[in-house]
Amino acid sequence: MKCFVLVPGNMVDVAVVGAGQTKYGNHPLGLKGMWAEAAAKAFSSVDGDFDPAAVEEAFIGSLAFGGSQLGNTAALLTEHSGMDGVAVRRVENACASSGFAFRDAWMAIKSGQADVVVAGGIEKMNDLTPERKRYWLGVSGDTEWERLAGLTFPGTYALMARRYFHEFDATHDDLVHVSVKNHLHGSMNADAHIRKEVSFEKAAGGFMVADPLTLYDCCPTSDGASCVVLAADHLAHKFTDTPVWVKGAGAASDNLALHDRPSITQLKATQVASTKAYGMAGLDARQIDVAEVHDCFTIAEVLATEDLGFAQRGEGGRFAREGEGRLNEGATTVNSSGGLKSKGHPLGATGTGQVVEVFKQLRGQVEKDRQVRDAETALTHNVGGSGATCSVHVFGRER
Amino acid sequence: MSTEIWMGYLLHHEPDYTVVQSPFTHRGVRVFGADSDATTLAVAGLLHRLKHDEIPFVSVPDGVDALSLSSATGIPIFEVNDGDESPWEVLMSDEAMVVISKRHASVEIPMMDVEIEVDAEFHEAIEAAWVQELSETHVSQGAYVSRSQYEEAASSRLQLHGQSSGHHVVWPPRFSHVVGGENADGMHLQRRGKVMTWTTLSAAGAPSEFSLRAPVLGGLSTVLLQLEDGPNGVFLMVDDEDAVLAMDAQMELVFRRLYAQEGFVRYGLKARAIHD
Repeated sequence: MKCFVLVPGNMVDVAVVGAGQTKYGNHPLGLKGMWAEAAAKAFSSVDGDFDPAAVEEAFIGSLAFGGSQLGNTAALLTEHSGMDGVAVRRVENACASSGFAFRDAWMAIKSGQADVVVAGGIEKMNDLTPERKRYWLGVSGDTEWERLAGLTFPGTYALMARRYFHEFDATHDDLVHVSVKNHLHGSMNADAHIRKEVSFEKAAGGFMVADPLTLYDCCPTSDGASCVVLAADHLAHKFTDTPVWVKGAGAASDNLALHDRPSITQLKATQVASTKAYGMAGLDARQIDVAEVHDCFTIAEVLATEDLGFAQRGEGGRFAREGEGRLNEGATTVNSSGGLKSKGHPLGATGTGQVVEVFKQLRGQVEKDRQVRDAETALTHNVGGSGATCSVHVFGRER
Repeated sequence: MSTEIWMGYLLHHEPDYTVVQSPFTHRGVRVFGADSDATTLAVAGLLHRLKHDEIPFVSVPDGVDALSLSSATGIPIFEVNDGDESPWEVLMSDEAMVVISKRHASVEIPMMDVEIEVDAEFHEAIEAAWVQELSETHVSQGAYVSRSQYEEAASSRLQLHGQSSGHHVVWPPRFSHVVGGENADGMHLQRRGKVMTWTTLSAAGAPSEFSLRAPVLGGLSTVLLQLEDGPNGVFLMVDDEDAVLAMDAQMELVFRRLYAQEGFVRYGLKARAIHD
């Protein structure tokens, strides 16, 4: 039996020692197959000997394991990845499910309760009829009030976008710049759902989904699974010589419904979560080299660049317009993977999918053309719904 | 005595009765707008009547949703054990018209010269969609708002019942009597507000609850309003009027159909531009 004395400042440090994911998009496999693929890639990415049976705890994020809305599926998945009998559970916080699964895994090690933990996420979305998909994609919002006012998430973020244009010096063209950038990054990512560049003109003239947001402002609905392996500091170097350290973690929540928030042009949960994460890491936004931010809609990236501190309040449009987030052009490369917009957004898989990207970026393991130069630090930002939940993690090559 | 446009309907007020008609006609007959029915006309009439009279009870005929009407107006529905006769009653017509009348009043239906001829194809498509949506076997893939959930929130949804602590006004109300750190009392918010932002969803992007009607309507328009009492709320625009939306535009909230499944209609407040 283990006994613990928690001493502030003397807790365990946590490292990511392995990470992998499926290709996002219309995946030919079902839930079990996709999870098995992501887990196998994560386990094989561990440089040293790794036995999945040694995993003590597992946290799998998913909105509902696909539109089939199955329950108790985490155990089913782990038996297809060599983790039979592991203490596993599903973590659900809408699109932030695996961001919180990662946080829970980090806490399990940080608290001293476990040494080797797996976090992951999964969603199967493209086996649904369009009608079921439109039903299911809106269940993470405020169904009783917003949904009965005709809103799905494109509509909710459209309300934010129009208000943002009203309050600040920004136009839809700024959102187009986000879309063009993320498609450029995603075109170089072998795991991305949409691997093609789009021109400014094409992105600006897309089919109107929810005025002012067009098709090119909206992320695709993707299948996908992602998986990462975390280890306590005393074991990290057993698994790899190049662990990626979790230097800071923060999370917060906000009102579920947009109409209950004092401002709809900023996400308080992001601000609170990132402040905690930066504080724990001893870093600020200017010191982040790579940021995977939650761009479910282009306006979400504009807001995130402000809420995370990469741009001043009201300057997110300019940040996008001037290309500050483009690969190796500004202080921080934003969404080197292509983001949710181009890499794809398999809801429950997105959070740990972001960790997969920064793990590879900090180890110099992404495609050569989209490698962020001299990347030492990174951040992931995973949002649930229209900002009701948010988790932020800060990573570094140095402990 | 007087005829006016009230909550999007034609309303004629007399001392003993009120006539409410739809402004829309089809082949010379008054027809309901795209999200209206006898219940929505009756609610509009009663809310107007309440400006002039106290209405302790009202009786309603079959075809009017008594629960929603009572929740929206605050007027109890007459039950047999409430007395011999209800002092007020709602009368229905074959056309899109209702009368709110004192019992035994002599009612004379006035000629109202506003007639908006609806597009026949549109009218028939919307009617057909509602018939399908109202079928008891129709279970949309929509986010489910059960009857009990609807009834639980009816006073806040239909009558803007909120909470106030004196310094903070909260709507929709919380299951807590503490608002902003202070004890809160119930209050009814004014049905007016200004536009903070809006969007129009394409039919393809609209929630599946609206999948039968959104293509006919050409999408759904939603506004986020700052209500005059302070809180914000999101509301569909009324289906049967076109409005040019703008920041800070003044809107009133009127009682209309939202959607139906399993044979019962969920009503709610929708936004309508104030043209004065």
